[in-house]
Amino acid sequence: MKKPLDKNALEWTVFGVGLILVLATIVYLAREALATGSLPPEVTAVLGPPRPGRDGFQVPVTVQNRGDRVAEDVTVTVAGPRDQEAVLTIGFLPRHSKREGWVRFRGSPADAQLRVTSIGFASP
Amino acid sequence: MLDRSGESSSTSRARRTIGESFREYGRGVAGGLLFSLPLLYTAEVWHTGFAMPVGRMLALVFLTLLLLLGYNRYAGLRQDSSWIEVAIDSVEEMGLGLILSTFILYLLDRIGLEQPVHEIVGQIVVAAMTVAIGVSVGTAQLGGEESDAGKSGEIAVTLGGRLVLAWCGAVLFAANIAPTVEVLLLGTEMSPIRLIALAGLSIALSAVILYSSDFRGSEGWAKAGGLGAVLQGIVITYAVALLASAAMLWTFGRLDGATLPTIAGEIVVLGLAGTLGASAGRLLLQ
Repeated sequence: MKKPLDKNALEWTVFGVGLILVLATIVYLAREALATGSLPPEVTAVLGPPRPGRDGFQVPVTVQNRGDRVAEDVTVTVAGPRDQEAVLTIGFLPRHSKREGWVRFRGSPADAQLRVTSIGFASP
Repeated sequence: MLDRSGESSSTSRARRTIGESFREYGRGVAGGLLFSLPLLYTAEVWHTGFAMPVGRMLALVFLTLLLLLGYNRYAGLRQDSSWIEVAIDSVEEMGLGLILSTFILYLLDRIGLEQPVHEIVGQIVVAAMTVAIGVSVGTAQLGGEESDAGKSGEIAVTLGGRLVLAWCGAVLFAANIAPTVEVLLLGTEMSPIRLIALAGLSIALSAVILYSSDFRGSEGWAKAGGLGAVLQGIVITYAVALLASAAMLWTFGRLDGATLPTIAGEIVVLGLAGTLGASAGRLLLQ
């Protein structure tokens, strides 16, 4: 005679939910492992429309990593009016992810051709 | 039908009431948080969730499942359980670990629906594995008379059982330190002489805990076969601690691209925590 699994409704429920979660995690990770390549980080930055503020303006910066690996210590340098430069730093930029930040300048956006001048990052 | 320990299975595995099960899960939740809250509060752990290669994360899940199976088999609440019951308990504990990690990380505003799925899953999985081990230990150890009643002790004294318990203790104790950058700093900045001294301290502490103190179960090593058995216990404990430390450092990416002296330094640095876990933890866990 086989030993029965004598569990109550709560125990079966917790086991059922646990099983679904564990299987879903394994299936998701396995699928991701097969689908993810090994491209190094590929970081781009796009500037949004300037937003006027007190004695100056600020510009939204969207930084994106299209690579398959995380980029660390990402620095984005943005050129502003009258030779001003602002540097945005992002600690971690995971693969296929976006982060947003702001840079701020004195003066008016009309006086400048706002642009991203350089992007640097480390690849762990 | 008789179970492994010769008792009637109907007495040791009678169906519990909902209230009893609820209390058992409560112990698991408390244990999970008690042992792994520092991990959930550590920035390096969140970042590891982003940075860890997916294949390694998958390996972490399987290794944790193996560890849970081993712990539940050798030190769990019901040592008379069949492998099916051990597997069910392990799945439950991992499920609770995933739920708890999700809840706490959401509460701490570390995960949110605006993030890509792989970021959310990565953070949850990395934290949940240690939480799951905590749930398992908490369920078995934070209980009252029920948890003590199922311990015949016969299984735990085998070498395989001791190795599994030492590994569990080392992982549970060192997992809260392994992801921190301090291990890397210490491993690279400490001189070889100091590292050797640290290894000596680890071995000495292992000896003190195994032989001289009154931790529960210590007599299993100390009195089983005299000095030879104690020496064997010390060597095995330190070896397990170093292996577990290396495995955890690899998991958290702390060995990636490191030179051999750095790798050795990091393992010895974490090995102290691993040794405390493997010796004191293993004895306490029984």
